[in-house]
Order: sequence, then C-alpha cells, then structure tokens
Amino acid sequence: MQSDAPALTSALRVTGLRVTYGPIVAVDGIDLEVREGEIYGLLGPNGAGKTSALSAIEGLLRPAAGDMVIGDIDARAHRMQAKAQLGVQLQATSFHSNLRLLELVRLFAGLYGVTLSAAQIRELLEEINLQPEASKRFRELSGGQQQRFSLLIATIHDPALVLLDEPTAGLDPQARRQLWDRIERFRKEGRSILLTTHSMEEAQAVCDRVAIMDHGKILTVGTPAGLIAAHRDDPRVRQAAHGGVTLEDVFIALTGQELRD
Amino acid sequence: MRTPLSLVLTFALPLILLVATGLGKNSAVLGGPQFRISLALTVGLVSIGTVGYSLAIARDRDTGVFQRLRVTPAPTWTIMGSRWIVHLGAVLVMAIVVLAVAGLFVRVTLPPQDYLFTVLVALLGSAVFLSIGQAIVGLIASADTLNAAGRLLYVPLIGLSLFGDTDRLGTTVELVSRWSPGGCLEALLSAAMGATAWSDQSWGALFASVGYTVVFAVIGIRWFRWVSH
Repeated sequence: MQSDAPALTSALRVTGLRVTYGPIVAVDGIDLEVREGEIYGLLGPNGAGKTSALSAIEGLLRPAAGDMVIGDIDARAHRMQAKAQLGVQLQATSFHSNLRLLELVRLFAGLYGVTLSAAQIRELLEEINLQPEASKRFRELSGGQQQRFSLLIATIHDPALVLLDEPTAGLDPQARRQLWDRIERFRKEGRSILLTTHSMEEAQAVCDRVAIMDHGKILTVGTPAGLIAAHRDDPRVRQAAHGGVTLEDVFIALTGQELRD
Repeated sequence: MRTPLSLVLTFALPLILLVATGLGKNSAVLGGPQFRISLALTVGLVSIGTVGYSLAIARDRDTGVFQRLRVTPAPTWTIMGSRWIVHLGAVLVMAIVVLAVAGLFVRVTLPPQDYLFTVLVALLGSAVFLSIGQAIVGLIASADTLNAAGRLLYVPLIGLSLFGDTDRLGTTVELVSRWSPGGCLEALLSAAMGATAWSDQSWGALFASVGYTVVFAVIGIRWFRWVSH
C-alpha cells in the first residue's frame, strides 16, 4: 500500500516482507518505500510487527520472504554492504560496560571503517554536549545522554538511511524535543529516516509520511495531514475523536481500542 | 574479564590454592608439586574459560551489546571470536603467573621446553573449557540461571580432575575422572611438566580434549541465540 506521491529516488524499498517466528506471522508481506531525504514513521500498537520489520531490514533476523533494497544494494544478497549503508538505533541498546565513551566512538568508527583523530572524536562529542562525559562509561550517563550517544554512534559513518526504533521512549519532554531537532538536522543533511514510534505527537511533529501497521500488515500510508483528511469522515474516527480529529484518532480507529500487551 | 578487579580475583583463586596446598608438614599427601600446579591451572581454566566466559557472554546478550554489534558490518564470527581471544589471553597470562609463582614459592622449575609445553597445554585446556562455556551459554538463555549453573558445574569439573590417578573412590569414579575434561587436562599437564612420561594415556587425553572441544563448540554454536528473549 503506497501513497500516490510522484516517484522519487528510494533510500529503502521493501516488497513482500514476511517475518515469521515458527507458526507466528509477525510481518505479513508488507511493502514500504522511504524516499531520499524523507522521514518515514512506522506506527502501530504493541505486537503490530514494527520492530520485527525493522529487525529484518537491519539484518538482525532473516525474513521468510520479501526483497529489501537499500539505496541500490540488494540487502538480502549483500548483507554486509547493506549494513554499511545503514545507521541503526535499537529500541534497547547497550554498549560494552567497561569502555569509556571515547573508546566506544573509536571502536564503532573502526567497525564501520572510519578513522577518526582524537580531535575529531572530541568534536563529535562536543556536538552532542557530551565532551565533559568523554571519560565516563555508557551506563553512567542519564537516559537522554545515552540516547544522544546512541544516535551519534548510529550516524558515525555518515549513513544515507537511519533506522530509529522508538527513539524517544522514556525521554523527558526536553530530551525528546532535542532529539526531534537532531532528527530534523539529519533531514537537512539529506539523510532518510525510518522510525517507529508509539507517539502520535512525535509522528505529526517530525514525519513526512507515516504508515499505520497492525497484525503484521500495513493498513494505510500517507502524510499525517493526508491521513487525517482521508479518514475524517470514517464513523470509527468520529467516535474516537474528542473535538478535532487527530492522527491518534485515526490510529485508534484503524487499530482498535482493545489493550495490547 | 569485565574489570581489572575481576581479573585479579580470578587469578587469586588458583594462586591461593597453589600456595595453600603447599603449606603444612603433610602437604605431600595432597600430591606432588606438579599435581598442585596442574590443579591450580585447572581451577584457573574453569574460572576463566567456563564460568567467566559464559557469564560475560550471557550478560552482553541480556543487555543488547551483541545486537548493537550485529547491526554493524562486522562479520558475526568476529563478535564471538574477539571474546575468545580476550579469554585465551587471560588464560595465557594466568598460566604464566601460576608457573612464575610455582617457581618462586613452590620451588618447581621446569626445563624451558616444558614451560612452553605446559603453556600450550593450558591453551588447549582453555579451548576445552571455553567450548563448555559456549555450550552452556547456548543452552541457557538467562544470565541469572547461567550464573547458578556455572557454580554447580564448577564442582564436577574440578572435582573430577582430582581422582583420575587414584581408585580410592572406586574404579568407576577413577575411569570417569580420568576421561573427564579436567582429568584429561591433568594428564596432559602432568606429561607436559615431566611428572609422567608421554604415553598412550597422554595421546588419549589429547584426542579426548580435541573431541570435547569440537562437540561442546558445535552444541554451543548450534543452539546459541543472540538475544535472551
């Protein structure tokens, strides 16, 4: 399911992606396309299949079927080359507990084949206000600082496509705003971003297009404003709305009101 | 080997054992000096190879360190290989320290080639115990469960290595002990340090050790999961 926007160059093209865990189908043949310079949000309740889809694109699990093209690289045929094109921030991430930030930057830069001088590393940490913490260990940072550092590591090799799995989960409003600014800066630098989120506010604030996903399938795709306009007259949306229709009302109407674990 | 302190504490146990078993008038009852050195090396190998390695891997798996590495273009074998190299390095240092302390305090000195042979056997032994650690971490998902299982395994792995040369507990125990991973290592270390001559028993212990390494490594790799849930 795709919107009717004019064809632009794709940063990521996924077709027929299917992910299974034994008899359970987590992702059921989805298609999605992230265009160059676009911020694309994948929305869905818990268990919708967002993280499984993202994990398949990241190369963390082998899909049962489907094709994934990152830039012009077939990600299933050339996994390592595809990984080199991606910047990834996982939902729950940790780094080697006994390494300091300076050492972690050097380690991950090395894994991506990037050589950084001590001055360049200091500069990078300065950009995210973590230069004073350069000698600290990752576990000694606050939640917001950890998130900023993770994002720095995700983009250390200047990737064209960045995948963010619930990047603002657990952050306070200040840290969340700061992260949105950083995501916005990525867009200005020409990167494409695919993010998953539970926050409709976040999706409306930063995403160019969003896809709403449930039970492993993509239910609808469009700009946040476009989705609101398209579903405004749906009786389920009107029932969910309290006043003006929001993206959250559309989301609730499409995915149902029952609680998900 | 997560911190310098944990490394020191891991080294402390075999060294204490080495020195303490040499104290007192009747210390010879516990075995000759070479036996005490090989016992200390075995304890160090089980601590570093089986317990330390499996726990380090399980913790990194629990906290998502592996997943973070797996999204980079680094081949997955290098992720696990780097952990093996770190632990093999720790074993190498431990073996050298134990042999140095043995020379200074237990008054056991070996010809240069026997030192080399002993260190090589210690590295082979570390491959055996690392593969056992790999099998444990492949079969047990939770770091907490693995911690408890590691402690439980400590006793048979070291205990069995003690009775390979004696039938005081019966011939069945002697046979099981002799062909256990620890018993094979004891036999090889004994030959390496010149306490016994290299014999068919030594060849058998060598082949059994290689077999243990292959079997446990295959189990560990076959059932290993990068995430604990």
